[in-house]
Amino acid sequence: MRFKKTMGIGLTAMLAAGMVAGCSGNNGNSGATAAPTAAPTNSSSAPADKGNEPVTLKWALWDWEATAYYEPLIKAYTEANPHVTIEYVDLGSTDYMTMLSTQLSGGADLDVLTIKDIPGYSNLVKQNHLEPLNGFIGESGIDTAAYGGTVEQIQVKDEVYALPFRSDFWLIYYNKDLFDKAGVPYPTNDMTFDQYEEIARKVTSGSGADKVYGAHHHTWRSAVQLFGILDGQNTVVDGKYEFLKPTYERILKLQDDGIIMDYATLKTSSTHYSGVFYNNSVATLNMGSWFIATQIDKVKSGESAAANWGIVKYPHPEGVEPGTTLGTITSLAVNKKSAKKDAALDFLKFVTGEEGATVIASTGTIPAIKNDEVISSIASIDGFPTDENSKEALNTFKTYLEMPMHEKSADIEVILNENHDNIMTKNTSIDKGLEDMNKRVELVLSN
Amino acid sequence: MQKETTLATGKSNKPFITRGMKDHLVAYSFIAPNFIGFALFTLVPMIFAIILAFVKWDGSNPMNYVGIDNFIRLIKDTTFHKALWNTVVYTIGVVPLTMACALALAILLNQKIVGRNFMRTAFFFPYVASLVAVAAVWNFIFSPTMGPINNLLHTITGIPIEDLPRWAADKDWAMFTVILFTVWKNMGYYMVIYLAGLQGVNPELYEAAELDGANGWKRFTNVTIPQLAPTTFFVLMILVINSFKVYDIFINLFAGADNQLNDSTRVLVYQIYNTAFRSLDYGYANAMALVLFLIVMGVTIVQFRGEKRYGQ
Amino acid sequence: MVGSKKKFHAGWMTLAYIALIAVAICMIIPYIWMLSSSFKLNKDVFSFPMVWIPDNIRWQNYVDIWTRIPLGTFIMNTVKLSVIVTLLQLLTSSFAAYAFAKLRFRGRNLLFLSYIATIAIPWQAYMVPQFIMMRELGLNNTHLAIIFLQAFSAFGVFLMRQFYQGIPDELCEAARIDGLSEYGIWARLMLPLSKPALSTLTIFTFVTTWNDFLGPMIYLTKTELKTIQIGLRMFISQYSAEYGLIMAASVVSIIPVLIIFLALQKNFVQGVASSGIKG
Repeated sequence: MRFKKTMGIGLTAMLAAGMVAGCSGNNGNSGATAAPTAAPTNSSSAPADKGNEPVTLKWALWDWEATAYYEPLIKAYTEANPHVTIEYVDLGSTDYMTMLSTQLSGGADLDVLTIKDIPGYSNLVKQNHLEPLNGFIGESGIDTAAYGGTVEQIQVKDEVYALPFRSDFWLIYYNKDLFDKAGVPYPTNDMTFDQYEEIARKVTSGSGADKVYGAHHHTWRSAVQLFGILDGQNTVVDGKYEFLKPTYERILKLQDDGIIMDYATLKTSSTHYSGVFYNNSVATLNMGSWFIATQIDKVKSGESAAANWGIVKYPHPEGVEPGTTLGTITSLAVNKKSAKKDAALDFLKFVTGEEGATVIASTGTIPAIKNDEVISSIASIDGFPTDENSKEALNTFKTYLEMPMHEKSADIEVILNENHDNIMTKNTSIDKGLEDMNKRVELVLSN
Repeated sequence: MQKETTLATGKSNKPFITRGMKDHLVAYSFIAPNFIGFALFTLVPMIFAIILAFVKWDGSNPMNYVGIDNFIRLIKDTTFHKALWNTVVYTIGVVPLTMACALALAILLNQKIVGRNFMRTAFFFPYVASLVAVAAVWNFIFSPTMGPINNLLHTITGIPIEDLPRWAADKDWAMFTVILFTVWKNMGYYMVIYLAGLQGVNPELYEAAELDGANGWKRFTNVTIPQLAPTTFFVLMILVINSFKVYDIFINLFAGADNQLNDSTRVLVYQIYNTAFRSLDYGYANAMALVLFLIVMGVTIVQFRGEKRYGQ
Repeated sequence: MVGSKKKFHAGWMTLAYIALIAVAICMIIPYIWMLSSSFKLNKDVFSFPMVWIPDNIRWQNYVDIWTRIPLGTFIMNTVKLSVIVTLLQLLTSSFAAYAFAKLRFRGRNLLFLSYIATIAIPWQAYMVPQFIMMRELGLNNTHLAIIFLQAFSAFGVFLMRQFYQGIPDELCEAARIDGLSEYGIWARLMLPLSKPALSTLTIFTFVTTWNDFLGPMIYLTKTELKTIQIGLRMFISQYSAEYGLIMAASVVSIIPVLIIFLALQKNFVQGVASSGIKG
C-alpha cells in the first residue's frame, strides 16, 4: 500500500518534470524553422568586430563525436574569420546521404553539405540541390590538378558540384603480435591476392573464444566485391558482373574454411570492424585509411589492445602494380538554396584547400590534396607504426573509386548491395546472384 | 466568456446564435481538438496515399503521373515477392503457435495456482518491454559461436559448434528464430485476452458437462472451445494483422548496423520503408503500401462478418 | 471413483505447475542474463559455463553508458514525448468522446464513421505520405512530428466513447438541470467516472510511445533528438563488441517500463481484457 503511494507520487513528479521539460522544448521546436533551432551549437563563435557582417553557417555532417577533424577545421577557420560562426548538424552515419536529401527537399536551411558517397552525390545533383562550382573554381583560381584527378571523377556533364577534402584508400592493417605468435612473417607491400590468402590461412589459429581469424572482411559490399575491379578491366556500373565470380568464390571459400568470420553472424550481431581488431581476434583487417586515425587514438586510450600494429598496401591481382587500390572521396558542397552562399563557398574553399588539408592531415586523416609533405606529416604522427613498410604503404599507385560517377549509381548500388547480401548469406548462389545483378542493372540502365 | 453572456441574455435581444446552433458549436468544440489533429495527420495522408500510388516522385523533382505503372512493376518485382512471401510465412508460423501457447497458458493460469499473479506478470512483461533491448539479449544468447544456447547444445549433444544452427545468422533458421522470438514476446498479451474470455465462461456449463460424465478433455472440447470462439476469432484477426505489419522485430534481430535485410528475412514493411526512405521512390513505395492496406482490409472485412456471427 | 478423480486432479495440477514453471523460467531468464551481463567485463559476458553472479561486480558499466552515448538525453526525450503524447491523447480523446457519446449535433455519425473507418488502417500503409506532409510543414527532425503522429489516434476516441456510452444519460441530464455547462459535466462528472478507461488509455499510450521504433526512426535522425529505442539501437551498432555496456544500457531502457508496469499492472490486464472482449 505504502509502496504504491510513494510510487504514485514519484510518477506524478516524473510526469510534472517531463511536462516542464516538454513545454520548454516544445517552444523551440514549433514552427517551420524547427530543425535548425534544434541543432546543437557547440561551435566556437567570436565577436564580430572585424568589420564583416556576422554570419552563421550550418554544416551538415555525420558522426561529430567520432570524427577527429571537424572541430580543428572549424576552429582554424573561425580564428581566421571571427565574424563566422559554424554550427554543425549531425545527421548520423546510417543512410546519411538519404537523410541529407530528405532534409534538403524539405527546405532545411543548411549551407555547407558534406558529401559522403557518389550515389548520394549523383542523387543530389539530379534533385538540383547543389550549387554548381565551375564558376567559383575559375574565379578563385583553385587548381583542380592538386586533387589527383578526383575532381574529374565527380564531374556531371562537365560541371562539378563538390570539391573533395578527404581521399581515402584501402589498406591491410595487421596485428604484429599475432603474427609473431604464429611465427608467420608479416604481410608485405607487394602481395597478390593469392599471397594475401595464403598469409591469412597461415596465421589463422585456435577455436572457440581463443580463435584468431587470419583476415577480416567487413559486411560492406566494397570490402569484398571490389577485389574484382583492381585489374582495371571492369567497373561496377557497366551492367555486366560475371567478372566478380572469382572474388566471391575466394571470399566464400575463406568463410567456409573459417579464415574470416561468417558474414551473417557479423551482420546480425552488428559487429563493428574496429572491435574485432582491437580485441586481437583478427590478424589482418581489410579496411580504408580512415581507420588509421581511429586506431592511433584507441591505442592511446587503451581501448584497442592491438597496440603493436602495422599497415601494408592493398593486395592486387597478378600483373598489376602494387599500390593499386580502392578509393573513396569525401567532399563538400554548397546548398543551392543557401542564403549565405558566399560565406559557404569561402568555408568550402578553406576546407578543401591547402590549409584545410594540413589540418586534416594533422589528425591522421588523408586529405584530398595529397603530396609528399602530407604523407610524411601523417607518418610522423605519434602512434603511427614506426616501420618503413607502414610509411611506404601510404603511397598509392592507382585508386579506383568504390562507386564511379554514374547517373544511375544510386539505383545500381541498391541492386548490388541486395545481391551481395544474398550471396554472402548463401541465400542465393554466386551465379544466380550475379545473373540477378546483370538482369536488374540492365533494366535500370535501359530506363 | 463574452459569447456566453450574450447568449445568456439572448432572450431579450434577438439571439444572434440560436439555441440549436449553440449546442452544435459546443459539441464541435469538444470534437475539434482531436478531430483537427486526426484529420490533418491521419485522414489527409490517407487520401494523399492513394494519389501517390499512381505517380513517380523522388520528393524533389516534379511528380509524374504514371498510371498503373507502379503496380505493373510490383507484379514483376521479385524482391517484393520475396518480401511478401516471407511476411506470409512469418504470419503462418506466428499465428497458430501464439494462439496455442496463449490458450494453454491461460487455461493453466485459470486455476487455483500458487504464484498466479507473479506468473501472469512474468508472461505478460515481454510484451511491454523495449524491443530493442530484448532483441539485443536474444541475439547475444543465440549467438552462433559464443552464445550460451549453442554452447549448451554443444555440451549436451557433443556436436561441434560450427555444425549447430546459427539461428538468426542462418538463412535456414532465421524464420524459425524470429517466429520463436515473436511468440515469446507477445503470447502474454493474448494470454490475458484468453484469461478474460475464460472468466466469462459460465461455470454452470462445466457442472452440467460433468454431470453428463464428460472428462477433462471432453469438457475442454465441448465447453471451453466453443465458449471461447469469439475470443479466439478476435485473437486470430489481431494476430494476422499485426504479423503483416511486422518490421521492427526483423530489423532488430537481423538487420545489423546498416539496416539491411536479405532474401530470407525481408518483409513487406521493410520493403516499403526502403523504397520510400532510402531509394526515395515515394510513388512505388506507396503502391506497396496499398497492397498492405488491401490485405489488412481483407482481414478486417472477414472480422466484421465473423463478429456478426459470433456477436451476442 | 472419487479417489481416482482426486489422483487425476493431483496429477494434472503437478503437470500444470511443471509446465508453468518451465515457461516462467524461459520468460525470465533473458532478463536475468541481461542483468548479470551488465555487471561483467566484455570478455566475461560469454564465458561458459555461465556465471550468474560475477565475482567482480562491475558497476563501471553503469557509469560509462552515460558518457559513451547521450543516454540521458535519449531518456529525457522519450519521457518528454511519452508524457506529452499521453496527456494530449487523454485530453482530446475524452473530450471528443464525450461529444460523440452524449451530445447530438449535425454530422455526428459521419464524423464518428471517419474514425471507425480508419481504426483498422495500418499506419504503415500511410506513413510515407504522412512523412512527406510533415516534411513540408517543416516538422521533420522535430519532436512535434512524433507528438502529432501519436496524439490523435482513433483508438483513444473509440475506447473512451465505448466507456461513456455505459454511463447513463440520466446522470448528464441531472447535471444539466443543476446548471452545469457541458464542459462542467465533462470535467466534474465524466472524467472522474471514467478513471478505469482513462488509466487503460494512459498505459497503452505511454507504453506505445515509449517503445515506438519506426516513427522515431523515420522522423528523428539527429542524435540529440533520438528516443531511447533508436538511441539504444544506434549504440548497439556503434559499440557492438561492448557487450557489458550494451546490456547495461538495455537494463536502463527497460526499468521505467518495468516500474510503470508493476505499479499499474491491474489496469494493464483489465485494459487488455476489456479491449479484447469488446474488440
